[in-house]
Amino acid sequence: MSASAIPMVPTPLTSEQAEAMAQRQIKKHHVAIVLLHWFNAISWLLELATGAGLIVSPYYRFAPLWYLQMMEGIFGSRANMLRFHIAVGLTWTAVFLVYAIFGFRNYLRIEVLQHEIGLDRDDMQWLKVRTLLLLSRTKDPLPPQGVYNAGQKLFALLVYTMVPLIMLTGLTMTFHWFGTTFVAWAMVLHFFAVGMVVSGLMIHVYMGAVFPEEKPAFYSMITGVVDELYAYRHHFKWWRAVKIEEQTWRDELRSKEEGGARSTDEKPDDNSGSDNAPLISRPQSGDRR
Amino acid sequence: MPRYAMVIDQERCVGCQSCTVACKSEWDVPNGFARTKVRQTGTIGTFPKLSTSFYVSQCNHCDRPTCVPACPTGATYQDQSGVVRVNRDLCIGCGSCVAACPYGARYINAEIGKVDKCDFCVSRLGKGLQPACVGTCPAHAKIFGDLEDSSSDVFRFVYRGAAKRMETANIAIGPNVYYAGKPKHAELALASFAPVPPRTIAPGKVWSSLLNKVVYLAVGVTFLGQAVAFFRQLSTGEKQFEE
Repeated sequence: MSASAIPMVPTPLTSEQAEAMAQRQIKKHHVAIVLLHWFNAISWLLELATGAGLIVSPYYRFAPLWYLQMMEGIFGSRANMLRFHIAVGLTWTAVFLVYAIFGFRNYLRIEVLQHEIGLDRDDMQWLKVRTLLLLSRTKDPLPPQGVYNAGQKLFALLVYTMVPLIMLTGLTMTFHWFGTTFVAWAMVLHFFAVGMVVSGLMIHVYMGAVFPEEKPAFYSMITGVVDELYAYRHHFKWWRAVKIEEQTWRDELRSKEEGGARSTDEKPDDNSGSDNAPLISRPQSGDRR
Repeated sequence: MPRYAMVIDQERCVGCQSCTVACKSEWDVPNGFARTKVRQTGTIGTFPKLSTSFYVSQCNHCDRPTCVPACPTGATYQDQSGVVRVNRDLCIGCGSCVAACPYGARYINAEIGKVDKCDFCVSRLGKGLQPACVGTCPAHAKIFGDLEDSSSDVFRFVYRGAAKRMETANIAIGPNVYYAGKPKHAELALASFAPVPPRTIAPGKVWSSLLNKVVYLAVGVTFLGQAVAFFRQLSTGEKQFEE
């Protein structure tokens, strides 16, 4: 199969093809991202639980009184709860700072973001069809999606704008940066930004952990891999890109192999350990037979 | 439980600021601020029959304090003896309570980034001492004590005398600092230093008028959305083999 044989649009699969693809796994998430995701999830859980327990003013409070008392009981005092909230928040911020520095080239460069979370025309259509499908108002197929679907992209956009705001406002309140006026604004912006992310979390958690069609996406956040059939059906554009990459890699390997086989035929193998030794140990022509 | 109150006898106060100094040194109050301060009122009458007075401002430890509900974290609270106190471990220095106080009794201590105000010297009370300002007043113009104790001086001033709360028709939140003296003293003090309506800080207004509605709407809509999808999922059931 050459790169040109990879289909441009999703085509119906035969049962053998589908079954074979369901067996093959492709890598979706780096282990660092998997770990970061669950660290983030735990941090959010703790921060939301303690944050809700810390807001006691009737002007801002939304948790019931029994919850405030319960949380105060768990932590011994609200002051301890605030210390815990700050400790987890600072750790969370520090970890993401490390991520931003070391992961910048791979995840946060503008070209990467544009490619991975920028919305294109297919995405707009996807949002429409997805909503109608949930309401059983259409039978249209979902348009092909990249490595992240339009819903995930929207959530990412929300998170990418709100999380820095949450961190900056949290730091402002913790260290009383720039004085009282800033702290007061930081407080309400902190509430607002968290509220916005929570609104997205409602769908993120449901789609990721409960919604049946996206189950492989949930498991991929543990194993780092998805099966090829899922990738083909839910993230066709990404599947195609991976296939092209795989094909290119295979083609290159093959051409090297053929070139290498010819050169070893011409002169005896005397370059073991020298500078141009191949990185992948390739089978000698004799071994293949 | 005691119910602490203070009486300031305007007839005795000579405006020497001893209380201001005693308080500042007791509590390390930074320059430019004070927990308590003696202010001169304006004048009434016509020359040469003019009158003036002194008004001692400080936290009034109100029965229905407006600063307590304003505090987002609950750092400001009223203890069982009626003293309004600040838990510095919880204070983030947002200034909500400063704006909410009708008496201007609070300030933000920029050195520690937290709010500060008079707390009737509760730590001194615990040692059996009087508040620093009371002990130092040369004219005994500041009288402190327990309103539950009928033999106390404050009881006598408040229930048997003419000590008055610094209240107006609009702002009556039960201050526990009483002012004694002639009627003209109270008139003078009210003319210059009448309590002002509690304010809400600008971010708080933006929150209650706009941001909280946006947040509740967004969370409500997405919650409903996933709830609808979830119930559809439950009613359809899941299949082993799909598509």
